[in-house]
Amino acid sequence: MTTTGKRTLLGYVAFCGLILVLPFLLRGNSYLLNKSALYMALAMATVALSFTWGYAGILNLGQAVSFGIGAYAMAMHLKLVASAGNPGGLPDFMTWNSVGTLPLVWTPFHSLLVSVILGIGVSVLVSTLIGWFIFRARISGVFVAIITLALLVVVNLVVVTEQGLTAGWNGITNLADVTVGGVDIGSYGFGFYYLVGITLVVVLLLGWYATRTKTGLVLRAINSNTQRARYLGYDVAAYETFAYASSAGVAAIAGMYYAVGNSFASPTFMAVPFSLSIVIWCAVGGRRSLIAAAIGALVVNAIQGALSSDLLDVSNLVIGALFVIIVLFLPEGIVPEIGGAFRRIWTSLVGYSGARPHTPKERMPGQGTSKFTGGQK
Amino acid sequence: MFSFGTLLSGLSIGSILLLVALGLAIIYGTMGVINLAHGDFLMIGAYATWYLQKYWHMGLIATLPVVFIVGCIVGLVVEKTVVRYLYRRPLDTILATWGISILLEEAVNLGAGSNLKYVQLPGMLSGDWVLFGAHVGVYRILIIGIALALLIATSVLFFRTDFGLKVRAVVSNPETAEGHGVNSGLIYAATFAYGSGLAAFAGALVAPIKSVSPTMGIHYIVDAFLVVVVGGVGSLLGLFVSAGIIGEMESIIGFAIDDTTAKVIIFLAVIAIIRFRPQGLFVSKVRQPS
Amino acid sequence: MKRRTVLKGIAGGTVSLAAAPTLLASTYGTAYAAEDEIKVGVLFPLSGTIAVIGRSLHNATMLAIDEINANGGISGKKIKPIVRDSQSSPAVYADKIKELILQQKVLTTFGGYTSASRKAVLPVVEKYNSLYWYPTLYEGDECSKNIMYTGAVPNQQQEQFVPWLIKNFGKRFYLLGSNYIYPKDENRICKALLKKYGGEVVAEEYVPLGHSEFSSNINKMRSLRPDVIFCTVVGDSVIALHRQYKTAGLDPSKMPFASLTTSEEEVSAMGGEYAAGHFTSAPYFMSADTPTNHKFVAAYQKKYGADKVTNFVSSASYFQVFLFQKGVEKLLSQGHGVGDLTPINIRNACLGEQVHAPQGVVKLDPKNQHTYLWPKIGQWQKDGQAKVIHESKKWVEPKPYWMYPGNRVCTPSGVKTEKS
Repeated sequence: MTTTGKRTLLGYVAFCGLILVLPFLLRGNSYLLNKSALYMALAMATVALSFTWGYAGILNLGQAVSFGIGAYAMAMHLKLVASAGNPGGLPDFMTWNSVGTLPLVWTPFHSLLVSVILGIGVSVLVSTLIGWFIFRARISGVFVAIITLALLVVVNLVVVTEQGLTAGWNGITNLADVTVGGVDIGSYGFGFYYLVGITLVVVLLLGWYATRTKTGLVLRAINSNTQRARYLGYDVAAYETFAYASSAGVAAIAGMYYAVGNSFASPTFMAVPFSLSIVIWCAVGGRRSLIAAAIGALVVNAIQGALSSDLLDVSNLVIGALFVIIVLFLPEGIVPEIGGAFRRIWTSLVGYSGARPHTPKERMPGQGTSKFTGGQK
Repeated sequence: MFSFGTLLSGLSIGSILLLVALGLAIIYGTMGVINLAHGDFLMIGAYATWYLQKYWHMGLIATLPVVFIVGCIVGLVVEKTVVRYLYRRPLDTILATWGISILLEEAVNLGAGSNLKYVQLPGMLSGDWVLFGAHVGVYRILIIGIALALLIATSVLFFRTDFGLKVRAVVSNPETAEGHGVNSGLIYAATFAYGSGLAAFAGALVAPIKSVSPTMGIHYIVDAFLVVVVGGVGSLLGLFVSAGIIGEMESIIGFAIDDTTAKVIIFLAVIAIIRFRPQGLFVSKVRQPS
Repeated sequence: MKRRTVLKGIAGGTVSLAAAPTLLASTYGTAYAAEDEIKVGVLFPLSGTIAVIGRSLHNATMLAIDEINANGGISGKKIKPIVRDSQSSPAVYADKIKELILQQKVLTTFGGYTSASRKAVLPVVEKYNSLYWYPTLYEGDECSKNIMYTGAVPNQQQEQFVPWLIKNFGKRFYLLGSNYIYPKDENRICKALLKKYGGEVVAEEYVPLGHSEFSSNINKMRSLRPDVIFCTVVGDSVIALHRQYKTAGLDPSKMPFASLTTSEEEVSAMGGEYAAGHFTSAPYFMSADTPTNHKFVAAYQKKYGADKVTNFVSSASYFQVFLFQKGVEKLLSQGHGVGDLTPINIRNACLGEQVHAPQGVVKLDPKNQHTYLWPKIGQWQKDGQAKVIHESKKWVEPKPYWMYPGNRVCTPSGVKTEKS
């Protein structure tokens, strides 16, 4: 492995180590553990976005749709569990909306396994269809962004309107805790935290691996010059759809954790400001690097969480200003820029960066000198 | 269902869409900048009107030119500080303008407070007329008239004046235009300012019949975008037709079924149009760079 | 090249500097209350689509707290308010109430406007056995042991209103509300009342929250010609609706809005002439002629501005703090220290207490934790105030399950089904 590859792996190891150790730093404070788990779920969605945006060049402004599908799938299951004692097993909001019997769409969600599969599956299916619809027509760039944004608005409208099915604007509240094989996972303890944390680590490692395969290389090729990738014979639409759909699947998992952690699923999880926030976190951290995107999500949310507790109104100002500054001056995101700055300091201090000259047979996918590399990891 | 009243309402909704989308279309058509803060320039226009009315006791009509200028100035500031650096990065302009949008909303929230403001309609404009058996508010007719007038004025500006010639030159080929002595930076700044001024103007006009709050912009921005994209980038005629069609659809479907279904149908139709005809309904009369 | 690097360094450095202390701060949390402080949460929407009225609720709560503290606090202990902005979002409500209870360890929280927000808060306050004071009119069908309801329920708002409307205007009602649970439930009750009193529903429509384009609804009003427009639209939409109604040339003397939600706040935002002629049913109007009200309004305007108005939800936000004070005073006078106070024993001490509210004397009903209130019907005038044209001679007992199927009642030991 090259030095850059080694450094990246070191970064990943450090990050994973931090995740494992954090609960002890927080002295087991259940509120903070829950918050951290929620932030990690958001980081997961951000990592997924980085895969499509940073690597494949698809700016998906509707990431919240996939996230929301996962969240609602989990919420529907937990709501049914919590409503088991009601007449007909009917969730309370359905009674308020004069719905007589459980709608057919809800019946599969009695089982946790089926709900998880459906959450991920529906999200992947929907994005595959959308991807097919968009990418087959060779829509790219700005228009993809506009279409995904418009779709998000439509989905949000439908969810808010269909109150009998989705509890509308209120969201689905009052969820039971998750029980797997009789064990109550709860959302405020070490169990939930590690569940989310380990999933995040797995997602990061899988994503890192994916970017180093041929598929990752092709995606980056598509990003840097779509026409050329097409001329070289690659089915661009298929690769783009793959990136879009796998990202949607991961976002759905993140959404499920988010619903469990909040004990709540709300249409705000599927709304424009939230979806654009995911984009912000990704840009702030570093869109071209999965781990940078995760860090971006964690840092921005931590700042926002802390600020909005103490100083009432300033948090939004800070986030808005931060975002503009990042886009203008640090377009690759904070993590790559800081990493680059450290490397320059190291080089000027030590005199060399420790990298060996590349010989052709050592060249790894993604380490080439041509424009096929979209930048660092 | 197709009563004259419904049709008139559709024209009214369409005219508001046109007003809001016009500035956006100019900016997008000229510079390829997707200004997600456009709705917030509109909001600033509404607040400017409120402020002028409340503290300087100006009537609504008198505030309009002042608000236009305020909008231009705000747009100019934004262009000079942020947008100018992002002309070759269209996706980044989306992000940066979204950040500016957050900043503007928060600034107004902190400065003027988040409770709603009240903009007064002059007495003679608050009645209604009866046209062919259908009631329609006088003010709404005025908005339709102003929207059309602005559209024509903008067409004249861009296709008949020297300034417009320069703009079109810069859009087609900035390097060649510069070679002919056109200061493209100045042109871009002026165009952005004009588009922002239009947004603020629209905000002042709709303030009396809608509600003025720091987050009022969001409701308009997505709709305005769809109108622009459907109409076709760079085509003012397309904008006019697109706003009209979407406005009528909203009114007719809203009356026949309900507003939410109307919005859903319209959005899905627009998505289909973008997919099958991304250049929009009408092709631009200005040669776009490839 | 160099300037870019410097700028990048500054940007990166600023961000890291901002991140560090905030991360540290959140690690250490908040210490327990000092012995002579009573910590309460104040959680209202200060931004977003409900802020139009949310601000007034926050202000009234703070006014009450300041007045109590100025008089020496509760038995010598000062109230310490921890303020949060719920941003008009039920999701944020759920998040902030968790923070207030778990992290800030408040003894009680005053908050909430929309029913959606209350439904989001309810599971959290019940899970952690805290106490939440909810000052807003709502649709009933609830009686949580962890919530004190000081707003009107349908039998205190609709029971007199609907028959009065039928008698004075006619039987044909157009129901128009915002699209969430509160308007839907109120409309369900309205329909049941209409059936009982011989009225009919000509249309029933819901618009999204924040919606502001009412042309198609107004066209429907013109073509259907209802006698009454029963209005449960909330927030920003109220202003747009009334303005568009008037500029469309419709006449409130023939087809008035009959609202459960429109208050002085929305009227002052839309302008008195747009509200004139329409009606609202509420237990309080700013024009009430009682000494307590005059004092309240004067104090409110002195603190927040002479152009500010009070409304039936802000007056409830105000008087509920004094109910809280009574309960805590009772506990402290029995020899408990501040450290012994818990949300639940405060609740038990408050039940059955009365205070002089701006609308009159009100009482917390120990059966269901709702409040005895004085229903009124007011007609809006051009000056932005309501003229009371009908009011109840006695206070009305709250019945949260009135008109709901199943014949349920709220008792201190939970919801029971009454055999009738």
